[in-house]
Amino acid sequence: MILFENVYKKFPLGNFALQDISCEIQSNEFVFLVGSSGAGKTSILKLILREMMPTSGTLVVDEFDLSTTKFKNIAQLRRNIGFVFQDFKILPEKNIFENISLGLHILGMNSKDIVKNVKDVLKLVGLEDKENVFPVQLSAGELQRVAIARAVCGNRKIILADEPTGNLDPKTTWDIIKIFKKLEGKKTIIIATHNTDIVNSLKKRVLILKDGRLIKDIRKGGYEL
Amino acid sequence: MNDVFVAIRRAPYQSFATFFTLFLTLFLSLAVFFILTFLYGMLSYVESRPQVTVYFQTQTSESDILKIKEQLISSDKVQSVKYVSKNDAYALYKKLNQDNPLLLEMVTPDILPASLEIFAKKPTYLPEIAGFLQTMTGIDEVNFQKNIIDRLLSLTSVVRKTSILFFGYFIITTIIILISITHFKIALKKDEIELLQLIGASKFYIKKPFIKEAWFFGFISSSAVFIIFTGLFFLSQPFLQSYLSGIVNLSIDFGFYNLIIWPISLEFGALAFFITSFFGISISIVSTLLATQKYIK
Repeated sequence: MILFENVYKKFPLGNFALQDISCEIQSNEFVFLVGSSGAGKTSILKLILREMMPTSGTLVVDEFDLSTTKFKNIAQLRRNIGFVFQDFKILPEKNIFENISLGLHILGMNSKDIVKNVKDVLKLVGLEDKENVFPVQLSAGELQRVAIARAVCGNRKIILADEPTGNLDPKTTWDIIKIFKKLEGKKTIIIATHNTDIVNSLKKRVLILKDGRLIKDIRKGGYEL
Repeated sequence: MNDVFVAIRRAPYQSFATFFTLFLTLFLSLAVFFILTFLYGMLSYVESRPQVTVYFQTQTSESDILKIKEQLISSDKVQSVKYVSKNDAYALYKKLNQDNPLLLEMVTPDILPASLEIFAKKPTYLPEIAGFLQTMTGIDEVNFQKNIIDRLLSLTSVVRKTSILFFGYFIITTIIILISITHFKIALKKDEIELLQLIGASKFYIKKPFIKEAWFFGFISSSAVFIIFTGLFFLSQPFLQSYLSGIVNLSIDFGFYNLIIWPISLEFGALAFFITSFFGISISIVSTLLATQKYIK
């Protein structure tokens, strides 16, 4: 469960990234965060990942209260969260297996479980035959699948995706969305996107942001701005 | 270990720089360690010789000599005193000149002086003991190894002080160089570190590969130093043997253990290797910890 209560995020120069955000996202819920550039989508994801701290308000992610400055268990929190970055963040000098298994090593898994886990997620994202390939040999769509595989593996409870289809062509975009659909009901999924087609066709919960404020929370909504 | 070799392959110049910096520091440190231990060994050796020998006039009675001996023993500055009577001196004279009958014929026990061989508790007590003896009656001559011991003491003191300065300078320089090299390695792995932090790696998990690498370089460079130093030492052994001829062995007494340093013993070799490895690994790891503490936020 993720709970925002009157959350504000103010930048050092005085401008607000987020203002008075209140909402609750249940476990295994599928949520779209929509809004124009600068609306605060990425800020919400960064707050959940504790990449930045709220200026005021209450933010709880599972058992962790992220509102307090005394919160030090950042590594533990992040082990429950998989993040899919718009720019993939795939390490070029490591092959696909090594890239995906990074998170599993952090969890302290043994080699046998790591191999099994990586094979499972590669199958999920349709890259079974690419485990020994290096990133430079993959297309943008394939790299995004690798990023999703890395975010998913290791039983992470929450998947955050920041514009996961931002750089992809329409066909690849739908392939990526299908992967997220496969995970629906098994993990909490929060996708920040501009893509009207995806939001409209999936009819999931939509949180609409404008100028750092949450202006609408639609249960089975579409892209409205 | 595989990740250490991968890291070396990915940053070969930084790895070589780390190795050679550590190698130079450890080599010079080991050389100073050997010089210091040999100097201390020499000091112990000289201290183990009779340090003050007092010769009595031939007419001085044995009871007077033994009285002086008692006075010396009762002071807290003397370790032991050995009385060499006229007969003992004659026996020694005979032994030393057994190949020269003419010299033996000319000498009788009566004309040889009795003496006391005195061992002080500390070399610094020697002038005081000698001064005390010179005030006594019936004394012919007082000999003591003041010059040799003074020179060794001052040499050891100079070497010790220079070594502290030298070690201080080299440790600081080495740590600064290693911190800079580690900083560079951290910069090369910036993306990986950032990603690891975002996916839940603890600080220690991120630092661990750098620490493993530091341990590896500390151990490898100290082992290389030890092997090369041992080779050079054995090459210079004929010179050392001629220089130290007449000295059966040199040792340092730690109170609970007497460490033989010449001829080179297995224990001394093992101690030198242990100290070099410990020193090498320590400065390598300390530098890495300082660098990762500063540059991995």
